[in-house]
Amino acid sequence: MARVITITSGKGGVGKTTTTANLGTALAMHGSRVATIDADIGLRNLDVVMGLENRIVYDLVDVVEGRARLRQALIKDKRLPELYLLPAAQTRDKDAVTAADMINLTNEMRSEFDFILIDCPAGIETGFRNAIAGADEVLIVTTPEVSAVRDADRVVGLVEAAEKGPARLIINRLNQRLVSRGEMLSMDEVVEILAVDPLGVVPEDELIVSTTNRGEAAVFNPSSYAGRAYINIARRLNGENIPIMELTEQTNLMDRLFGGLFGRRART
Amino acid sequence: MSFFDDLFRRKPASAQIAKERLLTVLVHDRVKLTPEDLAELKRELAVLIQRYIPSVNPDDIEVSLLREDTSDRLKADVPLRRALD
Ligand SMILES: Nc1ncnc2c1ncn2[C@@H]1O[C@H](COP(=O)(O)OP(=O)(O)OP(=O)(O)O)[C@@H](O)[C@H]1O
Ligand SMILES: [Mg+2]
Repeated sequence: MARVITITSGKGGVGKTTTTANLGTALAMHGSRVATIDADIGLRNLDVVMGLENRIVYDLVDVVEGRARLRQALIKDKRLPELYLLPAAQTRDKDAVTAADMINLTNEMRSEFDFILIDCPAGIETGFRNAIAGADEVLIVTTPEVSAVRDADRVVGLVEAAEKGPARLIINRLNQRLVSRGEMLSMDEVVEILAVDPLGVVPEDELIVSTTNRGEAAVFNPSSYAGRAYINIARRLNGENIPIMELTEQTNLMDRLFGGLFGRRART
Repeated sequence: MSFFDDLFRRKPASAQIAKERLLTVLVHDRVKLTPEDLAELKRELAVLIQRYIPSVNPDDIEVSLLREDTSDRLKADVPLRRALD
């Protein structure tokens, strides 16, 4: 029976889609049967981030409205046989789906998968409520910035009110160089402010840009720091006990200099 | 405070400022109290306290929302004046 996990944030553009694609891929690499669902109806994106945009025939709304069977709409990943995507509709709006639809949909999928990851739209309105309706667990993505953290706090409260809590936190785009200069909130500070358990921290990583350009998950790229962070988060989701460490500038530098020679050590 | 203190005092790093601002704004967000609500609460509290302790000056009363350690608090600080009679 699948665990249904919604990835949300409040503020837009902090990395929900990137996180959904990479965690889904990492979980499938480790042998889980995974479906990712793009719940951002009208602003379809998970398909391009996963590199599956050319294979879409039917979408989530087609399934909900009975024009297609789930089996027909699910798109198989190019590389991983146990990874699927259910794309969002691009030409409809959020009101095309209800919370009850999302509960029915996820329940129909549960027996086929180990993980169902739902990529939530930004905001706290209907799209957010629909995306968490079928969830067993909620992950909140934030960046270490005041506006993102403030919005994340709002979402923490809403997730609790919807009895989907406690949510867990993923801090994305952390720049350790800025943190050590005192010019960016650290993971510990964000965790202290929000009082939510962290599931992991993902560094700011230029390779996210190039892997996203190609439609390949960063977790396939062994030199991507963010990719390795996502692999660790996936393993924690799977119940493995992997300590969360912030990259220190030292290990970061050592890693860049000697990583090729001595193996990569920095861990997130 | 000397000229040199001013010259050499380091500006607090921006992360520290971000943290303090966030802690304050979140306490207000969480209780959903506007600054006007808080001022009204303070006025009513002052009336109540004065009924029991008439010597208290309402202008001295401070009511604030803040984060202390790990919990959000509504704090009222009511200085007592020594009775003159
Ligand atoms: N760790 C990272 N390092 C560098 N760039 C990143 C990182 N994470 C995300 N990005 C970039 O940030 C941008 C926003 O990411 P993404 O689309 O995943 O956010 P989102 O929360 O899904 O946005 P929306 O709210 O619009 O759905 C993208 O350009 C992505 O490549
Ligand atoms: Mg997105």
